[in-house]
Amino acid sequence: MYFKGINSYGDRGMLLDFGDDSSKPISLEVNKAFSTISNLGLPLLNIIPSFNKIVIIFENSEIRDQNKEKITLEMNEIKPQSHKSTNKTWKIPACYDESFALDLKLIQRLHQITKEEIINLHTSENYYTYYIGFMPGFPYLGDIPSQLITPRLATPRIKIPARSIGIAKNHTCIYPKISPGGWNIIGQIPFDIFDLQNPNPSLFLPGDKVSFYSVSNKEFQQIQKKHFSINELIKEYSS
Amino acid sequence: MNSLVISRTGTHLTVQDFGRFHYQHLGVSPSGAMDQRIIKELEKIIPLHHNQFIEFAYVGPSIKIKEGSVKVCVGGNCNMNIQKNNGTQIICHPYKSINLFAGDELNIHNTIDSVYGYIAVEHGLGLDPCLKSFSTDTKAGIGSINRSLEVDDTFEIQGDVSSWDHLSIPNPDYKKETNFKVYPGPQLQFFTDQALQSFIGSAFTVSAQSDRMGIRLKGEAILSNESHDILSEGILPGSIQVPSDGQPIVLMRDIPCTGGYPKIAILKEEDISKISQLPPGSQITFDLQTIY
Repeated sequence: MYFKGINSYGDRGMLLDFGDDSSKPISLEVNKAFSTISNLGLPLLNIIPSFNKIVIIFENSEIRDQNKEKITLEMNEIKPQSHKSTNKTWKIPACYDESFALDLKLIQRLHQITKEEIINLHTSENYYTYYIGFMPGFPYLGDIPSQLITPRLATPRIKIPARSIGIAKNHTCIYPKISPGGWNIIGQIPFDIFDLQNPNPSLFLPGDKVSFYSVSNKEFQQIQKKHFSINELIKEYSS
Repeated sequence: MNSLVISRTGTHLTVQDFGRFHYQHLGVSPSGAMDQRIIKELEKIIPLHHNQFIEFAYVGPSIKIKEGSVKVCVGGNCNMNIQKNNGTQIICHPYKSINLFAGDELNIHNTIDSVYGYIAVEHGLGLDPCLKSFSTDTKAGIGSINRSLEVDDTFEIQGDVSSWDHLSIPNPDYKKETNFKVYPGPQLQFFTDQALQSFIGSAFTVSAQSDRMGIRLKGEAILSNESHDILSEGILPGSIQVPSDGQPIVLMRDIPCTGGYPKIAILKEEDISKISQLPPGSQITFDLQTIY
């Protein structure tokens, strides 16, 4: 158990503390608690997991205080090892062509490795979705092989193309939309991962497993033309 | 058929409601009206608002009735007039219902000694919700209309004026508050006693770079003796974060969903609306409330 306790956060917030470190075992416990509390049917406005905290927001302090005991009891019962996962496992096509991989050369120089080695390393891992944040649908995935660990760009880009795959420190990510940002861009995926028309708008959820496989530019274009919806993507690329 | 058109935009013109909830774990900010007191007041005059309010900052828009007739009410401290379809001009006032007819144009000039104002339209603006809310987050591109409103944006109003009677409520006349009692933030212990003394002992000035995401303050630098870079964690509106330059930012309705700066304190929910109305240059102070 990494869970340290529950603190108040302002007059209507609650912060569940899992310590100051970040690791996959901590995140597994955080995401187990996140799904358990989300399914209790409590009158909460938002519940936000991150690497080692969960923030819960209620309408006012009375409702917050009424629900504190229930959440405390539930947290004392949580055993991450008995986690019955409803999470998905994704295999996502990725194109690492130079036209998409804006920072590939920089990473090659920094780590003295070839383009093929970068692709092999990035596609070798089954990543874990720590949480979704920064912008709608943006997954924090990790951990990347140590040979790929790269600091954020010294000067963030003003415009990162939508669907770009980035790496920074020991994480990898996908930008759902065009955005400013400081991650090193190594490729692109051929479809949208956030759809406002869908009641479940985000392709990825905290706790999902995600791996990438390399596709040619031609295959990339073919997949792109299909304009998959979230529901079609679930059928096509997850299990 | 009743319809209205934006004939002049004003500034930061967006559709807002009481907020978009249950999606922050997917990276979607709560958004919603900056000053929620005002839309609650407008509810008393235009109960059939369908949660579709137009928000403006500093300069209001002009709206013109294209067809039919529409009942509206403006909230906030602002001056305005109606250019009637027969050429006459009438002064009108906030918190009083206004019946507008084809060709009439309502001109909202500017907010007085405040920032945000609102328009409630009877039967709403004929919009469909986006992720269960009508609010707009222009940075994320989310909303029934996923951008600021522009000239010629036209709204078809799904209903006729329910009554020609004039309804009004007394002007709420909100007292301008500049001293805020705040609760300790999750990283309060990152700051030395000396830094805390500066935080509660000195005045901060509201910067012109403030927007729906955050109110930037200028004043004595508040420095952490630990770090200004923490692992990102969930944040809520009203949180006061301190980046490495020591100049605090009060996070507002379009918050980023997680943040990596230490949070020294957090405002009470009701004070988020109050602080949103302080124009750049306003001086504010904080009192730390330790027991709650």
